[in-house]
Amino acid sequence: MIESHMHRLVQMENSGLINMIVDEKYEDLGRMYYLFRRVSNGLVLIRDVMTSYIRDTGKQLLTDPERLKDPVDFVQHLLDLKDKYDKIITSAFRNDKTFQNALNSSFEYFINLNSRSPEFISLFVDDKLRKGLRGVTEEDVELLLDKVMMLFRYLQEKDVFEKYYKQHLAKRLLSGKSVSDDAERSLIVKLKTECGYQFTSKLEGMFTDMKTSQDTMQGFHASHGSDIGDGPMLSVQVLTTGSWPTQPITTCKLPAEILGICEKFRNYYLGTHTGRRLSWQTNMGTADLKATFGKGQKHELNVSTYQMCVLMLFNDADRLSYKEIEQVTEIPTFDLKRCLQSLACVKGKNVLRKEPMSKDIVDTDTFLFNDKYTSKFFKVKIGTVAAQRESEPENQETRQRVEEDRKPQIEAAIVRIMKARRVLDHNNIVAEVTKQLQSRFLPNPVVIKKRIESLIEREFLERDKGDRKLYRYLA
Amino acid sequence: MPPRASKRKSAPPNSSSVTSSDGRSVSSKAKIKGLEKIDRLFNTYANSSFGMIDPEGIEALCSDLGVDYTDVRILMLAWKLKAEKQGYFTQDEWQTGLKALGVDSLSKLKKALSDLEKEVEKPSNYEDFYTYAFRYCLTEEKQKSVDIESICELLNLVLGVQFRPQIDSLIEYLKVQNDYKVINSDQWINFLRFCKEISFPDLENYDAIQAWPLILDNYVEWMREKHS
Repeated sequence: MIESHMHRLVQMENSGLINMIVDEKYEDLGRMYYLFRRVSNGLVLIRDVMTSYIRDTGKQLLTDPERLKDPVDFVQHLLDLKDKYDKIITSAFRNDKTFQNALNSSFEYFINLNSRSPEFISLFVDDKLRKGLRGVTEEDVELLLDKVMMLFRYLQEKDVFEKYYKQHLAKRLLSGKSVSDDAERSLIVKLKTECGYQFTSKLEGMFTDMKTSQDTMQGFHASHGSDIGDGPMLSVQVLTTGSWPTQPITTCKLPAEILGICEKFRNYYLGTHTGRRLSWQTNMGTADLKATFGKGQKHELNVSTYQMCVLMLFNDADRLSYKEIEQVTEIPTFDLKRCLQSLACVKGKNVLRKEPMSKDIVDTDTFLFNDKYTSKFFKVKIGTVAAQRESEPENQETRQRVEEDRKPQIEAAIVRIMKARRVLDHNNIVAEVTKQLQSRFLPNPVVIKKRIESLIEREFLERDKGDRKLYRYLA
Repeated sequence: MPPRASKRKSAPPNSSSVTSSDGRSVSSKAKIKGLEKIDRLFNTYANSSFGMIDPEGIEALCSDLGVDYTDVRILMLAWKLKAEKQGYFTQDEWQTGLKALGVDSLSKLKKALSDLEKEVEKPSNYEDFYTYAFRYCLTEEKQKSVDIESICELLNLVLGVQFRPQIDSLIEYLKVQNDYKVINSDQWINFLRFCKEISFPDLENYDAIQAWPLILDNYVEWMREKHS
């Protein structure tokens, strides 16, 4: 009896299944579940309709450019969506496992439709750990982190997430902007449980470096405290290369006042750690400057190292051209323009004036110290330290680096498999490699083939002489 | 002769000296006489300062044989001689090769060339010859790949007669594609396999999921797009 009306009930325009879901009519849904259970394929029908609805909604969310503008908002939406369906399944569908599975596979399907999902989830976490979790109880923190882990599990490209997470974590640690050290560590433990030690060993290395640096600074101040006197106060974080995201080596001439104390530190450090090499990461530092303006108003400016280099020039000159600044500081063009823009073109932060007053920085601009600068705050933060959604070209670059990183991982998997099996045909290699790497990313079969060919060329493998469909491991 | 490398950095390989034995028996007199003729022929073309036949010598030999030095039969001769270095025949190689051919004069060698063609075409020899042709182009030490231009010429020379349509099409593709600037031995051997096994021009039985080198996957895709 129910069978013949099943489809009609489900599809009804204003009161069908989908409407019930949208309006969260738990009782009606519960009733439907109870009734349809008695019929073979009854539940299958509900599940299928629900699944395709979830997939469509999800797909829309993932491809809507408006929604994608704010990554934090976007991820919150995903979490809300998951919460909603979880509730339906618990309240109305009796926690039916098959429905849970259908929900999971739907989420897995649409989250991976957008290649930026890993980045966005990391930005969401960054936002929470930076400020969102302020004042939140420990239990609620755990709840949120568990939900984030749930989204993380759906990601096909976990290695992309790892890359962004590392970048964002680095920024948080170096700027001291993390809301809760416990929350940070809790998430790392969760990632370790999910993905194994290798995933998190470098992240843990970053925390270790921060702690070690604190100790180093204590030692440095103890031995040099009396020398400093009136000079700048230096605080150094010594980062172990390899644990932190790779940084390009940037040129930047530090002001003379700073160089002195930097050299003192370098000598101190190398005195206690022989055989190491230190290089200043001028693109990652910050500085607090005490500035006095026209009418004697004093402010403390929190700026990036680049901004500091630029501003210190105005101690000896009232006006400087772009070219002069570029020549003296040796800061790379793209960064210099961004730096000058943040100093001269942002309302409330314009400690420099620009002539002409246009929006963009060009080679022919001239900069002047803004005597008339005012702010109601004593401390003014000008440096951009918060992690932001990458621009298109930055995104492309990260993508490329991820692809490069994948190549050796794929090769290692191929060699491991062939070493064990000795002889294997092409399709099986592809299947095994995919299986081995699935916890990190989904390898492209074409890339796998390219790696096999590279291994053949380097004589790790050969094609079987009898059956050319087979590959043979060469000891 | 297959196309020559433009640079020749390494010196020609050392030629081995022929040791003559004392106390020649009567039965080996004929052999020795034959060997003398072979040696004399060798000396006609050899560069005396190196003690081996160099590219100029080979050119002269070709002209005397009445074949172009780019003729595939010269490559076959090199194969028969097991010549190691492109453009050179050592005395050892010459002696062993001509003995194997059963020739000791220029006219006999000329006749032997057509027999040689048949010998190479025997299925048991062909793959060996085909692989040899590629190796012969590796002129630098540790070189593992050959540039596309030379590969196209070699393909034409070695497979052009037997597989004209496939080779013409493949050469066209190799010249327009950008993914590969050189071809390695694995790709080379699979070109032959491709010609032998895949129906042309429909390419119906080509399965990209199988273990064909990527360059051939790309070629097939290109062909299919061209004819769609």
